[in-house]
Amino acid sequence: MNYKKEELKQGITLHKINTNKFKTNLFAVFLTTKLDRESVTKNALLAAVLRRGTKKMPTQEEISINLENMYGASFDCGVEKTGDNQILKFYLESINNEFLPSQENVSKECLEILFDIVFNPFLEDSKLKQEYVDREKENLKQIIQGKIDNKSKYAYDRCIEEMYKDAPYGLYKFGYIDDLEHINAQNLYDHYRELMKSAKIDIFVSGDLNEQISNEIKNNEIIKNLQGRTPQYNVNVENESKPRISEPRVISESMQVTQGKLILGLDVLNNKKEGKYWTSVYNVILGGSANSKMFQNVREKASLAYSAGSTYLRQKDNIFIKCGIDIPNYEKTLELIKEQLKQMENGEFTEEDIDNAKLLIASSVGSIPEAQDSEITYYFSQELSDEFISIEDYIKRINEVTKEQILDIAKNVQINTIYFLKD
Amino acid sequence: MKIIESTKIKEKAYFEKLENGLNIIIIPKQNTNKKYVIWGTNFGSIDNRFIMPQTNEEVFIPDGVAHFLEHKMFEQENGTNSLDVLMALGLDANAYTTNDHTAYLFECSSDKFYEGLDELMNYVQNPYFTNENVEKEKGIIGQEIMMYDDDPGFKLYLNTMDCLYHKNPVKLDIAGTIESISKINPDVLYKCYNTFYHPSNMTLVVCGDFKPEDLLEEIKRRLQPKENQGEIKRIYESEDETINKKSKETNMEVSTPIFMIGIKDKLPDSDEIVKKHIAIEILLNMLIGKSSDLYKELYNSGDLLSEPDLDYEFSKLYAHILVGGQSKNPELVYEKFKGEISKFKKNGLDEGHFERIKRKIYGDYVVEYNSVAEIARMFLADSFKGINSFDYIEKFNTVTREYAEQILNQVFSEDRMAISIIRPK
Repeated sequence: MNYKKEELKQGITLHKINTNKFKTNLFAVFLTTKLDRESVTKNALLAAVLRRGTKKMPTQEEISINLENMYGASFDCGVEKTGDNQILKFYLESINNEFLPSQENVSKECLEILFDIVFNPFLEDSKLKQEYVDREKENLKQIIQGKIDNKSKYAYDRCIEEMYKDAPYGLYKFGYIDDLEHINAQNLYDHYRELMKSAKIDIFVSGDLNEQISNEIKNNEIIKNLQGRTPQYNVNVENESKPRISEPRVISESMQVTQGKLILGLDVLNNKKEGKYWTSVYNVILGGSANSKMFQNVREKASLAYSAGSTYLRQKDNIFIKCGIDIPNYEKTLELIKEQLKQMENGEFTEEDIDNAKLLIASSVGSIPEAQDSEITYYFSQELSDEFISIEDYIKRINEVTKEQILDIAKNVQINTIYFLKD
Repeated sequence: MKIIESTKIKEKAYFEKLENGLNIIIIPKQNTNKKYVIWGTNFGSIDNRFIMPQTNEEVFIPDGVAHFLEHKMFEQENGTNSLDVLMALGLDANAYTTNDHTAYLFECSSDKFYEGLDELMNYVQNPYFTNENVEKEKGIIGQEIMMYDDDPGFKLYLNTMDCLYHKNPVKLDIAGTIESISKINPDVLYKCYNTFYHPSNMTLVVCGDFKPEDLLEEIKRRLQPKENQGEIKRIYESEDETINKKSKETNMEVSTPIFMIGIKDKLPDSDEIVKKHIAIEILLNMLIGKSSDLYKELYNSGDLLSEPDLDYEFSKLYAHILVGGQSKNPELVYEKFKGEISKFKKNGLDEGHFERIKRKIYGDYVVEYNSVAEIARMFLADSFKGINSFDYIEKFNTVTREYAEQILNQVFSEDRMAISIIRPK
């Protein structure tokens, strides 16, 4: 296997992916922490403030100038939620030395810049720089307000928010404007120091790399100075029990839209570890491909939608059905979707449908190693779960799924929430 | 086959033009399990008036036909839908329409490539349009058009085109309007198909781990015989160099205003275009890119949230620069941007800054060779513009500071500049 991991210290893991498929090396640092209302906004803000400057490169311009000089190495950072964790992600991509027009070693320098940004922030009066914090608070506020800009995404986020009302997963990954007001350079720095002691730290390197790179990382002064820790995060729980409900919740909200956005949030009840693979296949048949019931019956036959499909949120055992429809067609579309769920439950799908679905999953999982960031994301999700499944094993498990198992899922799917965004 | 090699990035491309006129480009790439094939016709939303070579008949078509045709190509006479067939093979299949071309593609990471190629090459060569299946599609495309109506970024772009151009069809929505597509019928689709889906107007690009000679034979075997066809005469209304209007504003449901600055350029000269494109990318980055003084100033004052999107778009019919972003004060960004251009013109380009941005742009080009999909799409789109994609790497060093200064003075002119803004309601 081209993937190896090594614990540098307790709670700090180095992951190495050797691949010669790319012209670039990709380096990443992920900080994982529990998702909660208390810190969700601070974490989102922190990622933004850290990229503003380091002790060595106090301004954003200096960082950019250094990266441009290394043939446009690109830095990116952001926050994400995965299961009940919030992840601060920092990436640096640089051209592999082999493809530079001149002989240079940019990889080592890139790693140093990346570590510098995450672990060595620019400080003023023993706290984060006030000016940076203020500016990023303002920017983050606009990002949070920008939630409404993409209507499909907004409807989807709102549906999740309603389904997980008082639970961590319902939190918005960028946080809340109300919480921003209470954040200042001092308490954000305190939070940073706390995070540095308790977060799970994962360092990824991907590319055509030699053994030297691991040593360079281990001998890096910044990495050497990090303390071991008992990382505070949620191992992705495989069985989350969900109550059976008698009637789904129906929410409809208004905004200026010409097309209505209909989202159905489904629970998969009593799902077992193996059931995740069954659910993946179930989902593809229901709405995960152009052959799916949603695409064929809601889009192609009834001509009700242009976008009609479903996605499976593995960590939370939810399926989300999403459609963009003419607003007056709400009832008609909803009935038709329910009918598709009924058909699944009645086993109205063929062995061929199952084979096609498996092929599609196998090919999409099989192409994970064809993009550096998706390969990193895959191994990181294994890291967050309590077992390791290789890509080959994953495909094998998909291929073992039977019709009975899919039916088992179909009988345990319930509509939790119906969300409709209309004019 | 003609072989072109780029020693800098260690890639090769094989070019072949068949007797029937079909262009084939194969970019072999080892160490990857992914294979990508894309077959495109030089027919896009801007081609709305032409003379059919077979009959010499002049045809006017409703807006949105190229895109409509793309949707309808999948339907087969035997009742199957080729998109479903390809998906059932586990292939990730798709199609898209742009201003100047339409393309059909799939991506494969299994051993089903040739089965997929059978289906792809079969459906693109065998249209099946009926009154019934054309009517049904109007509902789906109608929803697609409405989906874009709610998309502020899309509206912003169209408004920019409306500012820059008087009559040029680049200002039209690729999908047309609900009204224009209502006029589409099988007859018009067949006329367009018979004219533009002739091999002499098409290019097929494949990227992946192949032996080019073997693959070429496989492609040839799947081609159906077609009579040679003369040149297609496309008729476009003449467009002068001035812009249509200085600005356009629309209110939509957005949180912060978004803006797009456009600069209309003269029609590109094919010998110079790659060099010019590189120079413009360098200039844009120097003016308002991540490490620029202007970006720093606008970021610190809260007038830009992130670095703007910088782009130079062109085909044989249009060329323009686009600078797009989000700002609570778009007018200020616009004024400062114009001011920065004057400053650059007056002071000339700083050598160190120029060389640094040049390195960055070089890196950006190399990154595009990471994915078979990007490589194939790039070669296809460039081929319709008469460009060999490797030229961006090969001609790189010919772009000097003096040349960039010359382009700065020629292209970045305030008379041909406009701004489109979408504001919150």
